[in-house]
Amino acid sequence: MQPTTVYTRDRCVTGIHGLDEILRGGIPYGSTVLAAGTCGSGKTTLGMEFLVRGALAGEACAHFTATEPSVKLLENIRQYAFFDMNMVDSGLINVFDMDVLYSWLGLDKASFELDDVHALIKAIVDIVNTIGVTRLVIDSVTTLCYKIKSEQLIRDFLFTLGKKLATLGCTTILISEITSATENAHWSSFGVEEAIADGIIVMGDSERMGHLLRFLQVVKMRGTSHSRAKHAIELTPLGVMLTPMLKWGASADKTSRWGQ
Amino acid sequence: MFELDQRISEQLTQVALNSAVQVRVGTANSFMVTASTMIPLMQMFEMGGVYISASRGAVEIIQAFEAIGVDVSHIQFIDLVSSGILGGTDVKYPNVHFVDSPIMLESILLRTLYVLRTMESQRNFVFLDSVNALAIYNDDRMLAEYLHTFINTFRQREVLTVILNVPDQTPPLVLSNLDTYCTDVVDRGQVVIL
Repeated sequence: MQPTTVYTRDRCVTGIHGLDEILRGGIPYGSTVLAAGTCGSGKTTLGMEFLVRGALAGEACAHFTATEPSVKLLENIRQYAFFDMNMVDSGLINVFDMDVLYSWLGLDKASFELDDVHALIKAIVDIVNTIGVTRLVIDSVTTLCYKIKSEQLIRDFLFTLGKKLATLGCTTILISEITSATENAHWSSFGVEEAIADGIIVMGDSERMGHLLRFLQVVKMRGTSHSRAKHAIELTPLGVMLTPMLKWGASADKTSRWGQ
Repeated sequence: MFELDQRISEQLTQVALNSAVQVRVGTANSFMVTASTMIPLMQMFEMGGVYISASRGAVEIIQAFEAIGVDVSHIQFIDLVSSGILGGTDVKYPNVHFVDSPIMLESILLRTLYVLRTMESQRNFVFLDSVNALAIYNDDRMLAEYLHTFINTFRQREVLTVILNVPDQTPPLVLSNLDTYCTDVVDRGQVVIL
């Protein structure tokens, strides 16, 4: 009998300790991944480390920040030993304030219409294309989508953006803010992001006897087999580190408002 | 004059880096056995290491070593006790790291792995003090599962695992798991007559 040839998609190796093992080698190239998490669960750090590991491998990276000014973001991330400000200075990591981008595009308004959304997509895609970005993080897509009033328009925005970025070979992490990471919770604020994304990484807190233990779980990733187990994470100066959560720990952990 | 148990260092010459050594102690000889294990590893085998302290605060252990003239400044301590004490984490030793509680078992493992990644020494040990202290806070099944993961994690990385244990204060399920997964036993435990 002839051995069967198994087709495997090329991977974007995240470089994050433990995550590539969970994803059996990394995120399939060009995917749009939703990193959905509660506050303080490590979403921004994960996104930033994803870019840093790419920059260390010589990839051009971009970060669009909508939740905090870029200056504040960089000040916070400088505490991590894995981050080197030279990556920003040398143009390997490009950080953009969404507020500045809105001003450039004349989008200083409370809500976006169809034309505004298309202008925004074009601006992001142009930046990615011009710089040759292969890793992109939007932090957060929730803040950005608050300006888009219709669910249909949010769906169109994310679908079109994801499709165009995939065509350019850009692997994207869309950070999503959620208030709960329980089994019954939505993994996005508007309910449409999770359906459109190629992958969903959920981050939250497990409460164990009054202490919060950060966890990460890959619930969906198109184009690869992957572990769906909950993993405990630590945000160390060297980056995010993961280990499988104890199975018997789940019975000791209880549901809380801020996570499982 | 503090006297070390020389037979422990002789026994340690027989263990490989990927071994897991269960060190059984009694309540009275705990520090003597700890020192008799740690000192040869540090001085004779020139190993670096991580000391996980669940039974007492790290500062108390460091000072106990200093009192017998042993420098442990190159050993990294992960203190699971002092965060639970108001002002307990305000210490002068740069080689002490803190985990909030002994119930954060996964965090202890990750913090240990992180500290090991920052160490310059090529050959390292992890010294867990102690299983019976962890058993105060954690369910038997969870602790047994944890020790299984803990031992295999460090064995795979060729980091010598030393696990201190007071047998008569350790749940039977945990004890039997230790017996199964540890490769060597240094038995200086109290004799228990049932």
